[in-house]
Amino acid sequence: MTVRDAHPSPPPLSRAERGVTSRAAILVAILVFALFLLPWVAGKYPVYLAMQILILAVFSVGFNLLFGYTGLLSFGQAGFFAVGAYGCAKILLAVPNLLLGIAGGVVAAGVAAFLLGILSVRHTRIYFSMLTLAFGMMIFSIAWKWRDYTGGDDGLVGIPRAPLEIPGLLSISVAAMDRYYYVVLVLSLLAIAAMHRLVHSPLGLTLQAVRDSETRAQFAGVPVRKYRLVAFTIAGLYAGLAGALLPPLENTVTPPIAHWTMSAEPVLATLMGGIHSFAGPIVGSLLFFVIKDVAMRFTEYWLIVFGVIVVAMVMRFPNGVMSFFEHRQRPAPIPGTVRTEGEGGKSART
Amino acid sequence: MNKKFAVPSILVLLSLFVFVSGPASAQCKLGVPAIKVGVQGAASGPHADYGRQIEMGATMAAEEINAAGGVLGCKVEIRFLDDENRPATGVKNARLLVTDWGAHFTVGTDSSGVAMAMGPVLAELKRIHFFTHAATHRLTEDLVAGKGIKEIVRVSVPIYQDAITAALIFKDRMDIKRWANIGADYEYGYVAWNMFKETLRKYRPDVEFVGEAWAPFLTLDFSPHISAVMAQKPDAIFATPWAGEAVMLLRQALIQGVFDNVQVWWQAMGGSVDVLEGISAEVAKDRFKGKLWATARYIHNWPDTADNRAFIERYRKRWARFPNYSAETTYSAFFIMKAAVEKARSMETDKVVAAMGGMQIRNPGGVREFRSVDQQFIYNVPAGRPVMDTRYPIPVLGDLKVFEAKDYYRYPPFTPVSVTK
Repeated sequence: MTVRDAHPSPPPLSRAERGVTSRAAILVAILVFALFLLPWVAGKYPVYLAMQILILAVFSVGFNLLFGYTGLLSFGQAGFFAVGAYGCAKILLAVPNLLLGIAGGVVAAGVAAFLLGILSVRHTRIYFSMLTLAFGMMIFSIAWKWRDYTGGDDGLVGIPRAPLEIPGLLSISVAAMDRYYYVVLVLSLLAIAAMHRLVHSPLGLTLQAVRDSETRAQFAGVPVRKYRLVAFTIAGLYAGLAGALLPPLENTVTPPIAHWTMSAEPVLATLMGGIHSFAGPIVGSLLFFVIKDVAMRFTEYWLIVFGVIVVAMVMRFPNGVMSFFEHRQRPAPIPGTVRTEGEGGKSART
Repeated sequence: MNKKFAVPSILVLLSLFVFVSGPASAQCKLGVPAIKVGVQGAASGPHADYGRQIEMGATMAAEEINAAGGVLGCKVEIRFLDDENRPATGVKNARLLVTDWGAHFTVGTDSSGVAMAMGPVLAELKRIHFFTHAATHRLTEDLVAGKGIKEIVRVSVPIYQDAITAALIFKDRMDIKRWANIGADYEYGYVAWNMFKETLRKYRPDVEFVGEAWAPFLTLDFSPHISAVMAQKPDAIFATPWAGEAVMLLRQALIQGVFDNVQVWWQAMGGSVDVLEGISAEVAKDRFKGKLWATARYIHNWPDTADNRAFIERYRKRWARFPNYSAETTYSAFFIMKAAVEKARSMETDKVVAAMGGMQIRNPGGVREFRSVDQQFIYNVPAGRPVMDTRYPIPVLGDLKVFEAKDYYRYPPFTPVSVTK
């Protein structure tokens, strides 16, 4: 049986379901439109904050492919984030070409994720988590110690916001923050759209099958380890993209971005938003920055406030904030069609 | 409230509001409601005391300036943010303070890494930042003198003091021929040790540098570092871990009997209030046997001037603590800013920097002089041995060695210093 055979086409959507889908599509379109208008209506700081949120959203969406869709909790994603950031920074310092820098960072992170993934996906559960934590901290140590290449604890400084350039074709200056915002926005939207397509593709469905029952997937002929490696590499590419967008924004890269505390950010954002919802990590990223920013404005003990809010949110919405909206928006079940837990009710919601 | 009194009461309150709030902004000769000064430092984690002291120094300075009528009639408003000792947070804070809150100036910053990350961003934000702790020489030598970033001004003494002063003090100690290093495993530690070696070699070609052990941030157990360098039988130790790590290091050195076997232990920034508080019991019992030497960017028992004594008194009254150097440098930065703005009658970077040209200003830590080439304020700070003094509840530095600042500051053209081990 092929993988595609294992997932027969879903039944056509009911009118109520189509209504929910079209409402969601309209909402997404409005949000995207608002994001494009942001530099025109908001000050510099909200634009800067929006870029931080978008970067974390890309990072978290990639992380959730591994966590929510494949069932692997990685504590080392900051390592790939840092590889992307340092890769991009080194290229931009040598060749001031933004596209080249970002592409280089993404490729470097993808290669690192692939190589470390070969070793990591041999294990699952806590063993996988510990391995990724160790590899992530190994990258942190390299960033810290390889001073000649990474600048050690001082990092790389003075990274230019180089022009978007295709030699002989176009050259657009993005030195102004507002212009760079559109680079971050477009790349983030493309990355998120690609991930949406991916998780609804046979590959995405297969990853969910691996997550739900490794044994069943193996009996269905799925090479589980290869699929996990693919998910790990893609998550690494996304972490690399997020990392590569950072140096032109901050003009600097330092080792703390590879630390495990940085790996916790997509974990936290995803848990806050909801791991079983595609939009969960994106909404979680927004909440993460907004709560932190608001708390920092009112008290220097913002970490306590932030922690209390996160704990309260996790207790109130154990499946993430998006579960609340999904619950409210989910159409009433048609009598006789409700699936029980034993009949596969645990299937992933995307 | 009775209705017939309601309207008159509201009118009285409104007129009171206008009376209280109106003149302050009307009198401000800079055309702003208030001068906003963003402040940041490490207020969480193991170095949090330094950020807190920055905040306390800033708060007290703003209160005193406002009580005396403000700057050109403008009130000073401050806002403090924790930079977590993380470059990314420092940069984000700078952006928030300037582009969102509307800061006209920013002040503070403990870590050299944060400072170096902020430097280029300050040029983009077009706001002067008065650095009051970060010590890397590259901040002023590379970013100001080299790249011409005018938004960087440093009020605190840079790393020269930790390294060059030590060499000047011990060059005449002919009994010390073998130096070993327990260094902070990052740029500050590397540069301090390299600069110390470079300076001492000029005076004492016979001296040997026999061992090095490097401790990263957040090291708790220094025993392997101590054992490694003591195995080389040094006459003296040069140590650069700071804050709580310095306290930990010194206590573990005592346990391992280091002070029975060396002639001198140089503890960079060991004269900071938090370190002195931490080793208070050991100093009281003379467990360092007079072999411990320390310095800081400012020491509360020096200079013995009316200004400094009054500052200490006000600070203790306000905060029930002694000011450490990040408090004094931040406090002084506000008065430097005030003097420069009053002279420039503007808050524009070029005009304020021009107004600082040739400035000599008396602060609690002594007279500071502005050096235009790297926008570094120059002032004297001595080194000495931690001792108890009946006038103070915590140790002070005694047996003070005072060198003229001109003798231990570097001057252009700045020659490169190795920033590696």
